[in-house]
Amino acid sequence: MLALAPDAASQKAAAGAGAPAKWSGTGALPDVVWGECKGSGATPYRACVDLSEPAYKCSCPSRKFPCKHVLGLLLLWATGEVPDGGEPAGWADEWLRQRRERAEKQEEAKATREPRSPNGPADGPGDGPAAGSATSAQRETRVTAGLSELERWLADQIAHGIAGTQQTGLADWAELGRRLVDAQASGVAGAVARLPRLLREEHWPGMLLGEYALIHLLAVAHRRTAELPDPLRDTVRSRVGFPVSRESVLASPRLRDTWDVIGSRDEEQDRLVARRVWLQGRATGRAALVLSFAPIGQVLDASLVTGMTVDAELAFYPGSSPLRALVAETHGTSARTAAAHRACRPPGMRLTRVPALIAGVLAGDPWTDSWPVVIGGVVPARDALLDEEGNGLPLHPEGGVPWRLLAVSGGHPVTVAAEWTPRGLRPLTVWDEEDQAVRL
Amino acid sequence: MKTPTVNTPTADPAAPNAVVPTGEAASAPAEDASWEELVSAALVGADRRSVPAVRLLEDAAVQVTRARAGRRPHAGRLPGPAAEETRPLASRAAGDRLARMLGGEQARLVPEWLETAATAGVRVPAHLIPGLLDLGARDRSIRPHLGPLAGARGRWLAELNPAWAYVLEEAVLPRAEGETPEAGETWEFGTRGDRRAYFAALRAAAPLRARELLEEGWAKETPEDRAAFVGLLGDGLSMEDEPFLEAALDDRRREVRQAAADLLTRLPESRLAGRMTERAARFLTRNGGKLVAEPPKACDSTMERDGVRPGPPAGMAKRGWWLQQVLARTPLSFWPAHFGLSPEEVIGLKIGDWAREVWMGWTRAVILQRDAAWARVLFEAEPLTDLLSVLPPEEQSARAALLVAREPMDGKMIMTLGGVARPWGTHLARAVLKTIVETSGMRPWDAGELIRLAGERLDPALHAHVERLGVTELAATLRFRHDMLKELS
Repeated sequence: MLALAPDAASQKAAAGAGAPAKWSGTGALPDVVWGECKGSGATPYRACVDLSEPAYKCSCPSRKFPCKHVLGLLLLWATGEVPDGGEPAGWADEWLRQRRERAEKQEEAKATREPRSPNGPADGPGDGPAAGSATSAQRETRVTAGLSELERWLADQIAHGIAGTQQTGLADWAELGRRLVDAQASGVAGAVARLPRLLREEHWPGMLLGEYALIHLLAVAHRRTAELPDPLRDTVRSRVGFPVSRESVLASPRLRDTWDVIGSRDEEQDRLVARRVWLQGRATGRAALVLSFAPIGQVLDASLVTGMTVDAELAFYPGSSPLRALVAETHGTSARTAAAHRACRPPGMRLTRVPALIAGVLAGDPWTDSWPVVIGGVVPARDALLDEEGNGLPLHPEGGVPWRLLAVSGGHPVTVAAEWTPRGLRPLTVWDEEDQAVRL
Repeated sequence: MKTPTVNTPTADPAAPNAVVPTGEAASAPAEDASWEELVSAALVGADRRSVPAVRLLEDAAVQVTRARAGRRPHAGRLPGPAAEETRPLASRAAGDRLARMLGGEQARLVPEWLETAATAGVRVPAHLIPGLLDLGARDRSIRPHLGPLAGARGRWLAELNPAWAYVLEEAVLPRAEGETPEAGETWEFGTRGDRRAYFAALRAAAPLRARELLEEGWAKETPEDRAAFVGLLGDGLSMEDEPFLEAALDDRRREVRQAAADLLTRLPESRLAGRMTERAARFLTRNGGKLVAEPPKACDSTMERDGVRPGPPAGMAKRGWWLQQVLARTPLSFWPAHFGLSPEEVIGLKIGDWAREVWMGWTRAVILQRDAAWARVLFEAEPLTDLLSVLPPEEQSARAALLVAREPMDGKMIMTLGGVARPWGTHLARAVLKTIVETSGMRPWDAGELIRLAGERLDPALHAHVERLGVTELAATLRFRHDMLKELS
């Protein structure tokens, strides 16, 4: 129960608010609990919990979510102090009704949406080779119309204020996403679909403004593609959702190197599993991302295994900070053998050099929200990676304490591969005392 | 994301407007508007602040990208390094196998892996330690192995995670036969686990010296430590310990009193044994071919001091509970002498009321006093698993084999077999395999639990033989264990 609390202070406060004497008008039905808690003011705070999600509502001004009153109510309910039955008070009933209606709408929206490429940039499994020029002209028109509507919508949101987003955002975004899918701007639709999780955050207004600003920037950039240099135009088009065919990528110049497979992660999205495999070139230092997809339950491409090294030619998708690539041709792999023992730990950069690298990446593509880095000589702590001088880069707060990483390092410097994200690093792989790759 | 902050203006290559013309307002970026001001304007609405919405979005895009690109390392606190390991790492193959087992393959065999590896003197690969410590948090029985296996790294992690603090109580070094560790430092400053390991080793080597060492600092030990150390006196127990243990019956902590009473029960010459014998002779008398039980009417303070617990478990009559406890603490050697009968004859006597309590008392006495002769006699009459634990391993197997041969294979039998230590001897193995082959043909669902148990307990060298018998599941488990033990040897 208390695991729902946003932090330790809230847990403690909830224990106080869980005192039965503070509560009146409590009641519970199988999927909802409600009650009024006497606070410091004259009018009691009205708290209500929809247990089916769970979702919470409270009339108090706390920015913590859920607040101590909601937690207290749940504690009270869990200890059997809330009588079963009764009619929800008018205010509780109203809130529930609104929630359920929104949920239904969302379900509908979900059902009509088509599966998207989870990476935003185009060429998901559903995208075929570029279609005929008539259809592609039609697509251009649709995207342009869709994005100008998006620009107006965003300006309208900012003009009138985003304070009410927690109430109206989910429904608005579902509708907006549907229109963007209709407009064939699947990349932007994907960015919109990722917005709801921001609402769980304490600092959601700032984060939401940041995302709105970057989506706006993308729409404006698309409107002005004609003025952009080629690589940047490719980036913008790919972020918007225009597909790039495999054939055209494979036809582009290739980069041969000895690639270390530095990490991978599978993510389930819609009805697909997306496998992201990150590579780093020994000679060039280039980073690459190889994506593959399979329907849930089917076997994914397993040709690139973390810890192995492969001599291959990669063909990169075009863009101003190119990362995604296809393996065009392999010339041989060296799995971990006794001879290749030392060879299996990829060279890592110094931690203090990471910010400049990321700055360069963002200079090319400001919408980048993921980039692989291999950092050498770092000492992991509970919430950061540090170099031996104590310079630290924070870990992503949602990753939790990286216990396995801590266990491998034991306070000693190690080489770590991590995914840079705007909110912090997500550790992918660490090389242990015998230089064996340990997936995290 | 924490509220983005622009750390330093030197992050210029990152400013997005260097690459992307940010539209209408790009010519006059409002550099002075702070991020907080932008957010607050966005919350209430740009209109209310009389700022063009598009301009606000563009300013925000510049700021958010600049913050992302300009983020500098912060000053963090380095964790202190873990101590050097003293044990070698388990082989790569052994570590990989443990990883697969922790992932669910043959998970029932994890305790055997841990026990074998702890004895072999190796430690586990560091990345498996968190998973093992989580396992130990739920399952106490594996904790003693985790101390040495997780080593210095395990302790270092336990300092960071309170859920794993239990490992700090375990000894790092397993006790080696006949080895007496360096005195002094360990005893004075060691962790709880190390002190216990040291004390146990000293007790094995020099029982008297160990007890004297304990007596010296007795008053300063915590109640938990007092109880644990008294328990460790069981090794090398003699009448020399009697005065100390008798005094411990007056300890403030119940666990200490219980542990002392349990040990005194094993010394027939002790004062406690004498008091118990005197009580038992009153409560259980012989009348010709019958035994008459007359349980005590009250649990007085002297009984309580001798370890009799006044409150019975749920569903048990008080008087029967007291009777049972008195019998459990009465030296079993008393009865044959008292009645002039052999143990077989004693248990052959008819008992009227309280028969169940009398038998439970004797069974408990066998376990407390580790009396093998009585264990055999009672097991013949009623094959209880607990009785087997008192017998040497080969005899456990032999007795269980006889039982398998003559009794049906049911849930009770499987429970009894569960008490027979690994590895099962030849006779038991043969009897169990015969049963498995017979039942798996006719009632495969019944054979399942027996196959699982046999997989854990049979000698893994039998895997080829079992394969030929056609019991593939069992053969697979045994081959798995065979390979597993080879990797750890």
